[in-house]
Order: sequence, then C-alpha cells, then structure tokens
Amino acid sequence: MTEQVRKPRARRTFSAFGEIRKMPSEYEIVTHGQNWTTRQNRTSAFEQNPSSAPNMWFKTYRDNSALQAHDWEQFRDPDQYTYRTYVNAQAESELKVHGVLEEYSAAGSAAALAPGWVETLATLYTPSRYPVHGFQQIEAYIGHMAPTSYVTNAAGLATADFLRRVTTIAYRTRELQLAQPSSDIGTDHERRVWETHPGWQPARKAVESVLATYDWGEAFTALNLVLLPTLDDVLSRQFGEIARDNGDELTWLLHGFLDADNQRRNRWSIALAEFAITQQPTSASAIDKWVARWSPIADAAAQGLATILAETPEIPRNADAVTAGAKAAREGLLRGILAPAEAVAKVSAP
Amino acid sequence: MTLLKREEWQGFVRDVDWTPTYVDYEAIYPEWHCGTGKVPREAWQGWEESYKVSYPEYVATQREKESSTYAVKAALQRSNTFQDLDEGWKSATKMHFGGVALVEYAAVIGELKMARFGLNGSWRNMATFGQLDEMRHAQITTFFGHEFVGQDAQYDWTQKTFHTNDWVPIALRNLFDGMMVAPNVVDLAIELPFTFETGFTNLQFIALSADALESGDVNFANMISSIQTDEARHSQQGGPTMEILVEHDPVRAQWVIDKSFWGSARAFAALTGPAMDYYTPLEHRKQSYREFMEEWIIDQYIHTIEDYGLKKPWYWDEFITGLDTWHHGLHMGLWYWRPTVWWRPKAGVSKDERAWLASKYPNWENVYGDKWDVMIDQVNANNVAATLPETLPWLCSTCHLPCCNATPSRNGEWKVRTWQLDYDGKKYHFCTNACRQIFWKDRDNVNHETLIDRFLAGQIQPMDVGGILNYMGMTPDAMGDDPDYGAWTRDYIGRAVEGIAAATVQGATQ
Repeated sequence: MTEQVRKPRARRTFSAFGEIRKMPSEYEIVTHGQNWTTRQNRTSAFEQNPSSAPNMWFKTYRDNSALQAHDWEQFRDPDQYTYRTYVNAQAESELKVHGVLEEYSAAGSAAALAPGWVETLATLYTPSRYPVHGFQQIEAYIGHMAPTSYVTNAAGLATADFLRRVTTIAYRTRELQLAQPSSDIGTDHERRVWETHPGWQPARKAVESVLATYDWGEAFTALNLVLLPTLDDVLSRQFGEIARDNGDELTWLLHGFLDADNQRRNRWSIALAEFAITQQPTSASAIDKWVARWSPIADAAAQGLATILAETPEIPRNADAVTAGAKAAREGLLRGILAPAEAVAKVSAP
Repeated sequence: MTLLKREEWQGFVRDVDWTPTYVDYEAIYPEWHCGTGKVPREAWQGWEESYKVSYPEYVATQREKESSTYAVKAALQRSNTFQDLDEGWKSATKMHFGGVALVEYAAVIGELKMARFGLNGSWRNMATFGQLDEMRHAQITTFFGHEFVGQDAQYDWTQKTFHTNDWVPIALRNLFDGMMVAPNVVDLAIELPFTFETGFTNLQFIALSADALESGDVNFANMISSIQTDEARHSQQGGPTMEILVEHDPVRAQWVIDKSFWGSARAFAALTGPAMDYYTPLEHRKQSYREFMEEWIIDQYIHTIEDYGLKKPWYWDEFITGLDTWHHGLHMGLWYWRPTVWWRPKAGVSKDERAWLASKYPNWENVYGDKWDVMIDQVNANNVAATLPETLPWLCSTCHLPCCNATPSRNGEWKVRTWQLDYDGKKYHFCTNACRQIFWKDRDNVNHETLIDRFLAGQIQPMDVGGILNYMGMTPDAMGDDPDYGAWTRDYIGRAVEGIAAATVQGATQ
C-alpha cells in the first residue's frame, strides 16, 4: 500500500459511465445511478437485515417483477428532463395558464355558462380532483419502486404534474363556486359525486385497484400504459372539445396547456416499455398480460364517464363515440409494443 | 381583474381523501407502510402544514433559485479558485459530495413513499414538493461535484461512494435506509424531516457554508446555501405528524426521535466533526464542532422536543460526553485508515492546531496527544509505513462505525472499550451503550453483517489489505493519503522519542 501510485489519465466524467468516448449530457450526469438501492452486487435493496420486511417488499415487487431489463441504467427519458428543465418549463407554462385565467375571468365567462354545462362541470370536472390525486399517489409509488433513477425521476416529475392538475381544478372549482352560487360546486358535493355517482364508479374502482397493485411493473403498466391513456382522452381531449362546443373556451384552452404533461408522460412510458422489451423479450409477455387485464377496467371507466358527457351538456357527445375514442387513443399509443391480439388471447387462455 | 388568492382555493387541493370501497382501506394503506399504529385513522384528518405553498408558486420560486445558483457557478468556472483552495478544505468538500449527493437521492425515494402512503392528502402533496426538492439537491450536488472530476479523481466518488462497499457508505446506507426509505411513513416523517432536516442538516449546511466562505470557496457556499433554503418547506412534514403521534402514542414518538437523533449524531461525528476541527484551516475555523453542536443542535433540539411534551433522550449523558471524544476518535480512524477514504485526510495536529484543540477540548492532549505523538515520531523517523494499517478496526453492529470511543476508567486512564451483547448464539460488539440498546430494540431490522463480519466469514478475498480495498471499490487514483505530512510533524523534529515509536525508530536507525 505504500508503493508509489502512478497517475492514470485524467477522467472526464464519472467512472460509472464506463469507458465512453462521448461526454455524457448534463441530464445523464445528474440522473445516472442515483438510487443506491439498485446498485450492483447488493445482497438486498437496503443495508439492513436482508429478510427485513422492507427488503422483502423490494425483492418481491421490484427486483422480481416480471418487467425486466438487463441494465436499467441504459434507459433514457426521450425528453431528458432534469429538475432544472422541469421547473423552467412548468413555470413558463403556468404563466400561460395564469394569463388565460385572468383574461377569461375579466370577461366574466364563468357566470355566462349554460346550465347544462355548469352541471357537467360539477359532475365531471370539479370532482376529478379525487381521481387525479389517486393518479398522483400511484405515480409516486412507481417512482418509489422503480429499478433505476432514470425512471424514478420521470415518475417523480409526473407525480408533480398531477399535483399541478389538481391545483388547476381547485382554482377553477373556487372560481365556478363564486360565479355560479346556485350550483353545489365547491361543497361536499364533489366527494359525494366521486364516491357515489354511477358514472364515476368504474373509474373509482379502477383507481382503487391500481392503488392496491404492488408489483411496480404492473402498477406502471396499469396506470401509465392503460388507465391514463384511456382516461386522458376522455377527461382531457374529448372533454376539452365538448367544452368548446358548449361555449367554455377556457376549459378547452387549459386542457390544451396541461395536456403537454400527459404527452411527455406518454413519451417516456412508451419508451420504457420498448426498452424493457428490447432488453428482455420476456417483458413483452408481462406487458401483454397486464394490458389485457387492465384494458377492460379502463374501458369500463371511460364508458361510465361517457354517460355523463352524453346526458348532461347542452351539446352532448354520443357515449359510444366517447368510449370508442378513448379505446382508440390507448390502442394507438400501445401499437407497436404489443403482440397481435390473437397471440395475447392464446397466452391468456387457460 | 387579478387572480384569486391562494387561500381562497387551496382547501380544495388539500381536500383529496376519500373512503375506498372497491378495495379494502388496508390494501391501499398497508399498515407497515403507513404505520398508523395506536393513532386512530380519523386523527390524521387534522394533519396541517404550517407553511403553505402552491404549485405555481413553487415552480416560479425554484426557477429563480436554479438560475441564480447556476449563474454563480458559470461565473466562477472561469476563475482559478479551485487550484487555490487548501487541501484540507478540498477534503471537506470531497467528503460532502461523496457523502451527501446520493443521500439526497435516498430522500427522493423516501419523499415519494410519503407522497404515496402519507395518511392525509395535504401531507402527500407536501411530500410531492419534497421529492422535487430532494431531486434538486441530488442533482445540484452531483453536478457541482462532477465539475472537478477531471482535476482530481477523488471527486468521482461524488457519484460512486454509495455504489461501493467501502465502510463509510455501508455505515451511511445502514443509517439512511433505516430512517429515510425503509420505515413506515409516520416514523419516516419524524426521522427525516423532523430530526434530520430540522436538526442535523443545519450542522452540515450552515457550518460548512460559513467555512466555505472563509476558505474562499464561493461556489460551494453558493450551492449549499441555496439547498438550505428549500429545507423549511418540506421539513415541516415532521411537525404535524409529530403532534398527532405524540397525542396518541407518546412512547413511540419518543423512541422514534431518540433512535434517529442518535444515529444522526454518530454519522455527523464521523463526517462533520473531522471537517470542522481538523480539515478546515485553523485560521478559517469559526467554532469548534462541540460549540457548533451546542449552539445549533442541542439547545434548539431540546427546546423543540420539549415543546412537544417529550423528554431528553435516555442516553443524553452518554451523548454529551461523546461530544468530547467521538469525532476525535473517528478522525484518528479516518486518518489511520486513509487508504480506504476518497479524500486526503490531513492529520491537523501541528503545535498550533493542538493548542487550539486543547483550548476547545481540555482533555484532548490527555486522551489523544500520545497517540498522535507516535505517528509524528514515526513520520519524522521517515517511517510512514508504520503509520499505515495492516488490519481492520472492529465495527459497531448498530452504527457500523469503528468502535473507537475512549472513556475514562476509575484509575483515570482513558480506554477504548466495546459494549457487548450475546444474542442468538453470537457475540455482538457496540461502540456505545446506546448503540447496543438500539440494536436490541430494533434487532429484526438492524441485525446486519458489518464489514468485519463479512471479512471473518470469508466473503472478502484475498483476506488482506489489498483484498479489502478491492472489496471497498477503492482504486489507486482515489485512495486517500495525508496531503502534507510535513505540515503537522515539522514542529516536532529533533525531539526525544518515547513509547512504541521509540522501538521502531531505534530499529529503523540501526
């Protein structure tokens, strides 16, 4: 140990990147190998009794999940978001949100809405802070359990996006409450609708079921690949369009701004599924199986919400069209990562 | 027309709990993740944060902070300040980058756990901001450390440390896994935001920020003071959780807080203690580690826990006594086993430095002086090899740090001893009595092989210093050594050599 140490060539970056020629990006430097519970050559996730309950949880629901890859550290978020990129982009986007909120508030638009549309907002929009908070919780779990910091960070930022969405809903709830004092917006009505309205019950069942799904790969598939692509289409795209049809341009505009968050989440979620399948082909059958299990649940959730959109607004939209649109949106997103339907049917047959 | 004030609508953001019926409550909020224990479920409805923040406020404020911190960094990058920094100070920053960057990330994982399993909607929302804050801290610390990798390979350990089985990260993973990620969210909210963030991070961040400025490292001061401004926001998850737990289960609250305070105190004695009392250049030291602990931790902490109706921890006397010994023993250990650390620990025991140590710690010469004299005499006899380790220290089965705490005997002699426990057919050794007590109470979780256990079980091959360094992931370019032996030994050249050193010195001269 006392012999002279020869000075090797100076490093350009962390040794964790191996012998690479290309300098890693700032995104990679600050994201790579941040979670020590995923380190190589570990006996357990946590530096404590390997059979402690926390270690068993991570072993069962993360390390032994059917969603596998050889080297998760090779995954990259297509948008390469860091914390700094995120707060810059979201601060900018929130300024736009505030701009339209101010503009429409000055025009007194909330007071001028048609009664059927106010009821639609009270039934579908203001109660949606509950399921969106549920999405926030599930996304946090995905981040907590993910097998690499590259996924944890993407999921952590998506968790914050849901808080952003709840915040926007909350703001508008108060605004509508003030503008429409005879409606029951902003009372205990929202929770009651979420807990008991028939249109919401399949969605609530879906959210509660994913909350109780502990395998991280299944939770990720159920939420990010199945439930959200389906419900985003109903609650963001179609709801925005129907709002505009009913003279509520503000809702349409806001959903347009916030949908950028959904699109970013879709991009890394699809990239993650493709990555896992490419690295470990058995991941494909796991994803197929989970998509097959959760798709009917997501379709039922869309269908429930479609009944509200078909019945309540002055200018409604056909329920079957809403449901079919949502299903098509999900299938469009998943096209390319799923095996053909007949192959899935064969796999899941007893 | 202006926007509605936050107070008008924030109630809706906070009110997001519902009663599940399709799935059992227990399946969504499993007890061992949520840890409600004796607290009735309804009690959590009263959870309320004192410092409220909204999403748009958050992103706007944080964007400003980020741009100013990175602007300072960019400006300083063009200067040569790094080259001019003292080696001791550089070591303090290497310890910080390697010891802290990924701990911030462990806090991301912990905050995400509270964002999922927290027992109240507004708690989960605060944790959502909390995980963003911790992501910022992990990224900024990693990025600032990365800047120096090309100039000094030891900065590679900014990212590498916690991926290795070096004894320092084993000890720190054991502590932080146990208080930041693995516990149920009630315990976690008390251990991480309450004890650790409102208590101890002050120590590392305020103390080091002051020392950084004194040492001319504006960039480092800029980074850590910006990080510190986030703590007030997410650390407040501890208070409301504490209030509810104390009301319904004060015994548990006391235990959780006592245990995490102790673990934090041990780790900070290893990391912050040597940085403050030995590595920071003498002329730049503001306060001793003990003085800083007294001012920033002890008074404030006792005051806080008494406000919640709790008592001083049971081990208080042992802790206070340890302020005069723990970090001195650990410093000596870090210096002696310097090939196992990713910085250059300076001994810091020149005559002037010893005079300072003796003025701050009246027993210092009595307990540590003669040990350092042996090292000094060996160095002055050109026998540095004799000051290098050939074996391993015994590690404590709770804190995984070396058992190196001197305590006085009845005859006035100070000795390093261990506290022992026979359990399940095995003899365990602990550095302190409280570590032994914590092990006993938490034995299902903390019963975990130390590096020494692994060594003795043959998991580390070959069973020599080279094998150990390899197991620790230590490479020659990052291996620690004293940056300047002469700095602390030249004061003593020519003096008479006594004790152990005399024999080897004599042997060497023959």
